[in-house]
Amino acid sequence: MPLLFRMLRRDWRGGELGVLFVALILAVTMVSGISGFASALKSALRQESHSFLAADVAVRDSRPLPSQWLDDARAQGLETAEVLTFRSMLFHGDDDMALASVKAVSDAYPLRGLLRLSDTAYGDWREHRGAPAPGEVWLEPRLFALMDLSVGDTVGIGEADFRVAAAIRSEPDRAGGFIGVGPRVMLNIADIPATRVVQPGSRVRYRQLYAGDVDVATAFTTELEERLSAGQRLQSVDSSQPAVGRALERAERFLLLAGSLAVILAGVAVALAARRYSERHQNYVALLKSLGAEAPRVRFLYAASLAIAWAVALVLGWVLAWGLQAAALEAFAERFTAPPSLTEPRPYVIGAATALVCVVVFAWPPLARLTAVSPLRVLRSDVPLHDAREPRDYLIAVVAIALLMWAYSADLELTLIVLGGLSLVVLAGSAIAWSLLRGGRVMGMQAGSVWRLALASLQRHGLGNTLQLVVFAIAIMLLLLLTLLRTSLLDEWQSSVPEGAPNHFVLNIAPEELGAITTLLDDQDVERERLYPMLRGRVMAVAGDELPAEAEEGRPEQREANFTWSAEIPDGNELAAGRWWAPGELEAVSIEEGFAEGLGIGVGDRIDLLIGSAPLSVEVTSLRTLDWESFKPNFFMVFPPGLLESYPVTYMTSFHLPPERKNFLNSLLKAHPTATVIEVDAIMMQLRQTLEQVSKAIELVLALVLIAGALVLVAGVQATSDLRLRESALLRALGASRGHILGGVTVEFVALGTMAGLMAVLAAEAAFWGLQTFVLELDYAPSPALWPLTVAVAALLIGALGIYNCRRVVRVAPATVLKEV
Amino acid sequence: MITATNLGKRVPMASGELSILKGIHLEIKSGETAAIIGASGSGKSTLLGLLAGLDTPSDGDVCIDGTTLGDLDEDGRAALRGREVGFVFQSFQLLPALTALENVMLPLELQGDGHAGERAAGFLERVGLGERTDHYPRQLSGGEQQRVAIARAFAGAPRILFADEPTGNLDRATGERIADLLFDLNREEGTTLVLVTHDLVLAERCARRFEMDSGQLQEVEVA
Repeated sequence: MPLLFRMLRRDWRGGELGVLFVALILAVTMVSGISGFASALKSALRQESHSFLAADVAVRDSRPLPSQWLDDARAQGLETAEVLTFRSMLFHGDDDMALASVKAVSDAYPLRGLLRLSDTAYGDWREHRGAPAPGEVWLEPRLFALMDLSVGDTVGIGEADFRVAAAIRSEPDRAGGFIGVGPRVMLNIADIPATRVVQPGSRVRYRQLYAGDVDVATAFTTELEERLSAGQRLQSVDSSQPAVGRALERAERFLLLAGSLAVILAGVAVALAARRYSERHQNYVALLKSLGAEAPRVRFLYAASLAIAWAVALVLGWVLAWGLQAAALEAFAERFTAPPSLTEPRPYVIGAATALVCVVVFAWPPLARLTAVSPLRVLRSDVPLHDAREPRDYLIAVVAIALLMWAYSADLELTLIVLGGLSLVVLAGSAIAWSLLRGGRVMGMQAGSVWRLALASLQRHGLGNTLQLVVFAIAIMLLLLLTLLRTSLLDEWQSSVPEGAPNHFVLNIAPEELGAITTLLDDQDVERERLYPMLRGRVMAVAGDELPAEAEEGRPEQREANFTWSAEIPDGNELAAGRWWAPGELEAVSIEEGFAEGLGIGVGDRIDLLIGSAPLSVEVTSLRTLDWESFKPNFFMVFPPGLLESYPVTYMTSFHLPPERKNFLNSLLKAHPTATVIEVDAIMMQLRQTLEQVSKAIELVLALVLIAGALVLVAGVQATSDLRLRESALLRALGASRGHILGGVTVEFVALGTMAGLMAVLAAEAAFWGLQTFVLELDYAPSPALWPLTVAVAALLIGALGIYNCRRVVRVAPATVLKEV
Repeated sequence: MITATNLGKRVPMASGELSILKGIHLEIKSGETAAIIGASGSGKSTLLGLLAGLDTPSDGDVCIDGTTLGDLDEDGRAALRGREVGFVFQSFQLLPALTALENVMLPLELQGDGHAGERAAGFLERVGLGERTDHYPRQLSGGEQQRVAIARAFAGAPRILFADEPTGNLDRATGERIADLLFDLNREEGTTLVLVTHDLVLAERCARRFEMDSGQLQEVEVA
């Protein structure tokens, strides 16, 4: 046992355990830290998306929903709530009134997420769960200014009076779309009968909310799906994933990918370090054997050393992973209603298992083979080294990496794409490396002596260099790939919520108000977008086939939609089929692709519309796709100019209003009470904040993976450094100058770096394309600007590491070097 | 006692098998000193490797104190070396990251000696390095390194000591002092010494001398 500890101390002092040990620590830190953080992010994502529904699952309809469903849900242990929304007039005093969007909720509302309330219109807010008390209402801040109200005043809805109890600042399930028009008034559902505003035929939207244990909720959802009748729609997290959720989901996938790449890099570093460790220990083992150590004893010595290294690396890695998670979660603290635990065992177990696989699969085989070293080496150093890794080892390593990645990311597609990119590097790389090295040799024969020396050396160590080249290329490829993905992700997010983008919409502007409203906006220096004409119409028939007023089995129902007209295709829209109209063309329409699909409309179909009570028949000339998360005015139907001008039309526009100027809305609405303002600033702010936090987390993880990559480069350079040192020392002994040797080493490593950089660029672009297209579902664009940069950085970095590693040979007497290596 | 019977060693080469040693017979009694001399490449070191059980012969067998090496596997031979054999090498073979003391302790620790430290220190004292126990090999001269190696060789209390060109890396004066030390300790410990060298002066200090030539061994009559 003392021998074991002395050996460990000796290896630590000699720097031979260093890279192996750091690689193990890094593997544990990365895997535990990132997977812990990713799962925390996942639960944040779930909480986030559920709060957008205010429930785990919801059902909505324009008719009352069966109360039996609520009873059934409660019987299964789920929480339930009911929500009713409709538009109604709000009265204050004798002549003050405003059109409001009324939301009546039951006591348990919201089941997920929280309300924010304040005692004055724009005062400090507090979080709240539960409905207003019967007889009380909560009003949106704008209504306080608009109707000159304060808390304690009385307002009327229909035939009932209510006491204003608070200002409602935000509600979790207020969608960013155009549905909830008008300022919010929230009251208790028990007060609805007293108002007498909900009558048969009233336009009311009924919702039932359910939440509870994941499995129960899922089972209940399946049960509900079978019971739904026409018109009833199920809303689940998947069907209502908002932009924030999408961003978090992509971030989570990015993190898992980064973690998987870190596992590969750590595995490669462990393998390289173990290989060098075993090479350096051959003489040691030969000596131990000559002194009488038997093979089992040698094996025990190395197995125990490795086990100790694993255990110590595990503890240190866990501590670091804990810190990493704590730092990352700190940034997300306010995202969590219940912050995830840092002591959740799963990430730590995964980290330990990964490190164990690294040790058993990558580090142990070369060490186990040490027991076969002949003791004769003490007499004759030319006894062949046990160097070759058997093909079986490589196979096991590849399978282990694939399984680890798969287990870790739980994503076969992602695993296969990355492994595909890696195989490309290894297979094509080996072939290219071999021929480049040969070609270099031929070229070198005509070059000066430094070059000849370097290129001859590259070729002489052909196999070792090919391995080294492939390892460098893998490390650079993975780092480049991750950098590309990160940049693309951040760019995408940046462009989804640009600074100063419009965050308020004004609708229902009458044609005669246009001048006054635009003057008001321009006088107050409010940045606004163009005006869109807007009118509502209903699709009655498609290709002569009349649609039913209410959905029937297998047939779509009549649908209402917003119409506009435009000479050009609207910003951010793309033609998916058909053609855009020529100037002067009338009786044409361009329809949003998903809307057209729902109604079974194709290009060339003639559709019958009803605008107010006036019929209109047009031909569908094109289908468009558009981004519903773009925070821009989007329309299902766009017509050519000249067709709709005679119908009653209103206008809409959007503008940017910073938070400190929100009071401008009051003067706007006071002057134009019929106009409707929709605020998306809160949602945009929330999205921007989330994206900033996620971006920070991604940068942090990228930095860690960069460390893993650097470690692989160091281990890679070290892999052949003994051989190079010995040869350089020989050359030095033969009288080669310092410049000659360093020049040779420089050319050799710069050449390796350049080739590795070239291969990495090709493979990274290929894998980037695959991941963007199939996993992250983002557009792919090549990044030619990064190519020369990558190659240059690779050449410089690897060249510098090579020189650093061989610097001893020109500083120390050749005999000393020859004795040591 | 060491006996070699009809010992042969062949190695495969691209052009067929190469015979390094052929039909060697040798008998060295306990406590004897024997030198094997010969030109470079004559097969001296190969023979030493076979006699010490570091390598296995193609033909014939080696017997140490009644144990036939051919009957043992690699681990059995290692155990025998641990009990019976010590080595001194031309290139010293000290571990650079261990101090002089730790290098000498190595065979004792492998034998499970509970007093490895004290015994090792005692041997370093005997080779004149009592003041330098904490020095690392790189801080010692060539002669001093070989003295550490000799201390290590005797520390395990071997019955047989194999020395491979023990003065080959040293200047003449240092070489002589090392040889004195080696023979003095050998006498004091009553060890059998088998020495491989091309230095005839060193060889003459042994009681028996064998000459190796093209894989064949012949005893040289001592006048």
